[in-house]
Amino acid sequence: MHLVILPLLLPLLTAVTLLFWGRPSPGRRALAAVSAAGQLAVAGVLLWRTYADGPLVLPVGNWSAAFGIVLVADLLAAVMVGLSSFTALAAVLYGFAEFRPAVEHPLRLTLIQLLVAGINLAFLTGDLFNLFVAFEVMLIASYALLTLEADDWDVKQAFPYLAVNLVGSTLFLCAAGFAYRLFGTLNFAELARRAAAQSEDPRVTALALLLLVVFGLKAGLFPLYYWLPNSYPILPAPLAALYSGMLTKVGVYVLLRVFGTVLPHDLRGVHTLLAWLAGATMIFGVLGALSRNFIRGILSYHILSQIGFMVLAIGFFTDFAFAACIFYIIHHIIVKSSLFLIGGTAALLNRTDNLDRMGNLWRHAPGLGVLFLLQALSLAGLPPLSGFWGKYAILVEGLRLGEYGLVALALVASLLTLVSMLKIWNAAFWSGAEEREVRLGDRRWVGMNRVTTGMVLVSLAIGLGAEGVFRVAQRAATQARDPAAYIRAVHAVATKDTAERP
Amino acid sequence: MQLETALLIGVLFGGATWLVLQHSFVKILYGFIVLSNAANLFLLSMSGPPDGRAEPIAGRADTPLVDPLPQALILTAIVIGFGVTAYLVLLLYRLFLDQKTTNAAELFAEQDTSERT
Repeated sequence: MHLVILPLLLPLLTAVTLLFWGRPSPGRRALAAVSAAGQLAVAGVLLWRTYADGPLVLPVGNWSAAFGIVLVADLLAAVMVGLSSFTALAAVLYGFAEFRPAVEHPLRLTLIQLLVAGINLAFLTGDLFNLFVAFEVMLIASYALLTLEADDWDVKQAFPYLAVNLVGSTLFLCAAGFAYRLFGTLNFAELARRAAAQSEDPRVTALALLLLVVFGLKAGLFPLYYWLPNSYPILPAPLAALYSGMLTKVGVYVLLRVFGTVLPHDLRGVHTLLAWLAGATMIFGVLGALSRNFIRGILSYHILSQIGFMVLAIGFFTDFAFAACIFYIIHHIIVKSSLFLIGGTAALLNRTDNLDRMGNLWRHAPGLGVLFLLQALSLAGLPPLSGFWGKYAILVEGLRLGEYGLVALALVASLLTLVSMLKIWNAAFWSGAEEREVRLGDRRWVGMNRVTTGMVLVSLAIGLGAEGVFRVAQRAATQARDPAAYIRAVHAVATKDTAERP
Repeated sequence: MQLETALLIGVLFGGATWLVLQHSFVKILYGFIVLSNAANLFLLSMSGPPDGRAEPIAGRADTPLVDPLPQALILTAIVIGFGVTAYLVLLLYRLFLDQKTTNAAELFAEQDTSERT
């Protein structure tokens, strides 16, 4: 069994097994949890192997690289697979703590596994059309999960999400066709080799812009983000954590992959456009967050603001900026998901997440308050928490490049992030109006809090061990920005297979 | 052939965009169906002009063949598009049962998304 196929195969097999298992029961839950933990272990092995040996390549069906589909796991892909497995495990466990098996929706676990399969395929694929298929697997699972447990009021919010993503998929299809016409291949390595030779061609810039629109839409980049902040709040807390952690980051990952590995590196205009769009995303995202008065809404808008930071680093387009972006992704996925989970616990205790009717949480559940403070300050970027190092690296690189306007935007956005986090803190945790009841009698919150504590510990470790994590991010960035090595790795496997064939 | 195909793709894309921008969700749905067909046709035209080329059957080396790959891509895209359209129809039906309307202007009329219960 080839290691690279496992992150894809395990969730698919689990999904099918869970589907035929039928009714939710403790045994079915145990299978889901064991499978999620197994996927995390596989991701760990993949991470270790790619860190030590460089990219692993699997030509699916043993076709040579130019004609068949290849799966490529370099360090960046392995890091992303690890993060998706970790978030999925946390979401699954939190869901177990939240509801007894009897009230769980029978399709939830199945669809989570399908979603993870799609996400992992998007990270591992080395083929543009296969990436389209991965996006569709992921999106169809996400459409279904979005409306699975939504009530009548909420379900209409799913329509804009679907509509925008459908337009995005159609444009992606056109972009794939366009790339095939231009270069005569869809394989990333071959695309990179042939695109480098004709980087002066204006059609390559057109393709880059088309891909920017497609993936910017998935990532939630200004001005294509309005579908996100109204659709995510309709999800239950663990699913919102998974969506907020992984789905938009797939868009960011693909931007890294496409601009770093596939397209030629001298598209200066497109990179500058990317950086300024990111600046606008940061500001509009955080302003949107300030305008909301319920926790999930505020956090949903924050996703956009943070996406701005990551894409800003891609727009700077240096090795160091890419490393900063990857570090930021690692930090962000864990912090953001855990904040959604903390918000879910707070909403359970107060029976609402509307800030006008929350309160007293600090007095009755100080543990939850500490978790929230740690993650909120990390999101805003206070040292020595993980968010600080990511922002610091991006801003230092911005100053070095002389992009003072963008750095100023980023600082303003950070400050406003802190303000909106204080808004949640003041209303939900600090305010002590008597009528705001905290239902500690509902013991479910203890289990939910344990899951969240685990995530917070991981994110604290990222902050305190920032140097080690940054070293991994740097190596991932160097691999992702080195098309020559990528092409060599893919072709090395293809030629070996040709030689072995009888 | 090329000019006609390009014009047809343009008209389909234009019509689909117009439909997608309507208030009624049913028209938006029609818009997507047209849009995915426009994209498929665009993909097909990426295999180049078929004049003077034979159908892609292996073993006929004497004439140049039509590039079969875009056709394979379209097949995949049609299947995916079909699935998503089916889902969209069901979602619309559920929306209609819940709200007794599928008009975006009416559905989102008195909604303030900054507050929730």
